[in-house]
Amino acid sequence: MFLAWNEIKYSKTRFALIIGVIVLVSYLVYFLTGLAYGLAQDNRTSVDKWEADAIVLTDESNANIGMSMMPLGERDQVDADEVAVLGQAPNVIRREGETSEEAKINVTFFGIDPDEFIMPEVIEGEAFTDNYEVIADISLQEEEGIELGDKLTLAGSDIEVEVVGFTEDAKFNVAPVLYTTIATYQDVRFEAIDESNEGRISALVLRNDSVSGIDVENDDLVVYTISEYIEELPGYMAQLLTFGLMIGFLIVIAAVVIGIFMYVLTVQKSSMFGVMKAQGISTGYISSSVVMQTFLLSLMGTLTGLALTVLTAYFLPATVPYQSNSYFLIGITVLLILFAVIGAFFSVRTIVKIDPLEAID
Amino acid sequence: MKLIEAIDVSKTFKDGSREITALNETNFSVEAGEFVAVIGPSGSGKSTLLTILGGLQQPSEGKVLINGNKFSEVSDKDRTQLRFEEIGFILQASNLVPFLTVEDQMRLVNKVKSDAYDEEKANKLFEALNITELRDKYPKDLSGGERQRAAIARALFHDPSVILADEPTASLDTERAVEVVEILARETKDKEKATIMVTHDERLIGYCDKVYYMEDGELRLDEDKSNKEQPDEDELDGTTTE
Ligand SMILES: Nc1ncnc2c1ncn2[C@@H]1O[C@H](COP(=O)(O)OP(=O)(O)OP(=O)(O)O)[C@@H](O)[C@H]1O
Ligand SMILES: [Mg+2]
Repeated sequence: MFLAWNEIKYSKTRFALIIGVIVLVSYLVYFLTGLAYGLAQDNRTSVDKWEADAIVLTDESNANIGMSMMPLGERDQVDADEVAVLGQAPNVIRREGETSEEAKINVTFFGIDPDEFIMPEVIEGEAFTDNYEVIADISLQEEEGIELGDKLTLAGSDIEVEVVGFTEDAKFNVAPVLYTTIATYQDVRFEAIDESNEGRISALVLRNDSVSGIDVENDDLVVYTISEYIEELPGYMAQLLTFGLMIGFLIVIAAVVIGIFMYVLTVQKSSMFGVMKAQGISTGYISSSVVMQTFLLSLMGTLTGLALTVLTAYFLPATVPYQSNSYFLIGITVLLILFAVIGAFFSVRTIVKIDPLEAID
Repeated sequence: MKLIEAIDVSKTFKDGSREITALNETNFSVEAGEFVAVIGPSGSGKSTLLTILGGLQQPSEGKVLINGNKFSEVSDKDRTQLRFEEIGFILQASNLVPFLTVEDQMRLVNKVKSDAYDEEKANKLFEALNITELRDKYPKDLSGGERQRAAIARALFHDPSVILADEPTASLDTERAVEVVEILARETKDKEKATIMVTHDERLIGYCDKVYYMEDGELRLDEDKSNKEQPDEDELDGTTTE
């Protein structure tokens, strides 16, 4: 610590450069993680919001809710603690009166029964009571300026819905969700309302103590746990893996870069280390001061990167799907520092091999 | 008391098929409070002797005792530890850490031992070596003589029983060189250390109690030069020896 810190103070420019590299890499890692997490959340928050244990889709839909279609009556063939019907349909909306291209907004309609458990909590306005009333995700207000009472027209049809309430954390496939009645959903999707047992919905959302205990009397229906279902969300895993790989590589690259820096510095200082060894300062002490120095540098670098990330996030427009939490930030900080320190152990071998005899000549 | 002793120490180097005998069955010892000079032509084995005494390399034959410890027969780790406790090295080139101030060079010794910094001891040393004003300076801001005095302070700070100096005055002019050697002689007497100095400079051997001459790996006491300084020595350490 003593040697490590004094050297950093003495060679400020040199170490500032190393810290600079760590700052940039860590900034990138923090930011990418935030983006990855934000995007992942935008895919799934509406699903998490159900707080459900399982979902029933048709066999041929291949876990793709957009392709799943079943009669309302099949609800009775599923035996679980709680069952909620769900109709899902993507669509494009525009605020009433708007005609421009830019005014088009991708959304997902969730047709639900307001008395069942997947009914979202309203944070502004009130719940829908009639057909053609919707509860919208709050991002529509934050990003598109849609207010309570606004009328939204659907692309390619003359259906119009009215926003009566807002809820939060309701995104599905990166699009804000509009919650409405089953009838409205059927009209949006099929241009026909059929609330009889033959009327079509997309899925059944279930709550049950154990997923294996759910009984389905229909071979055409498949029960997926919610986590299985989320993994099968189109594009979700691909996104997660892509980001994960990039982040992993960046952390390793950061470790390698710092490792190389420390190695070069160690080689430069080897005659000085030789003198120290001749004076009886142990290899262990010298090595631990190099490792300690790496720790200090990576700590300062990542903390600066962290501060920059938090600052950037603060000024970021709401449309960027950046989202993070302290677990990620702390986790990445620990990983970056840990890998950097592992990289420094590369130099320890060099220190062990330094012959104090060479210091004499 | 013999603080350092070499018993039948030989050192041979293999140079291809040729064998170089750098040191040949050397017997040698230095008492507490004794300041010894080793002179001799280049390549005669002076540095080899010093590094073997300091445990930086192992003798091919024979053994080295430091303060009663069989230096040449312990593990590398223990030898490093012994070196830290018993030996102060002063080298031709500066043995200071470039990024530490003069005072922090001393502090490092305590840090390695996980002790509290002994400021009083450092102050005394700085005063004795006349470098009190330089305590906050970095080695690069010191003159050659100042640097060498700081190096001596560093070598003495942990109270070694043996001081090994390999041409400590090589980078200094005569005046500075004399100053440095005077300090070494004084510290040797005052603190009862065994000091061995390798030098090329015959003008400096007047400060030494004994002078050894090294030639082709053979070490012998140079009676002339040692005796010549005998009265001076008595004057210097009349109260401390015996
Ligand atoms: N590692 C080594 N490998 C091979 N030969 C060596 C090695 N170290 C020293 N020697 C040889 O041993 C002999 C003694 O070398 P040493 O360095 O002790 O001389 P020296 O008396 O200190 O000379 P100088 O006054 O020039 O410093 C020389 O012939 C040298 O070439
Ligand atoms: Mg030499």
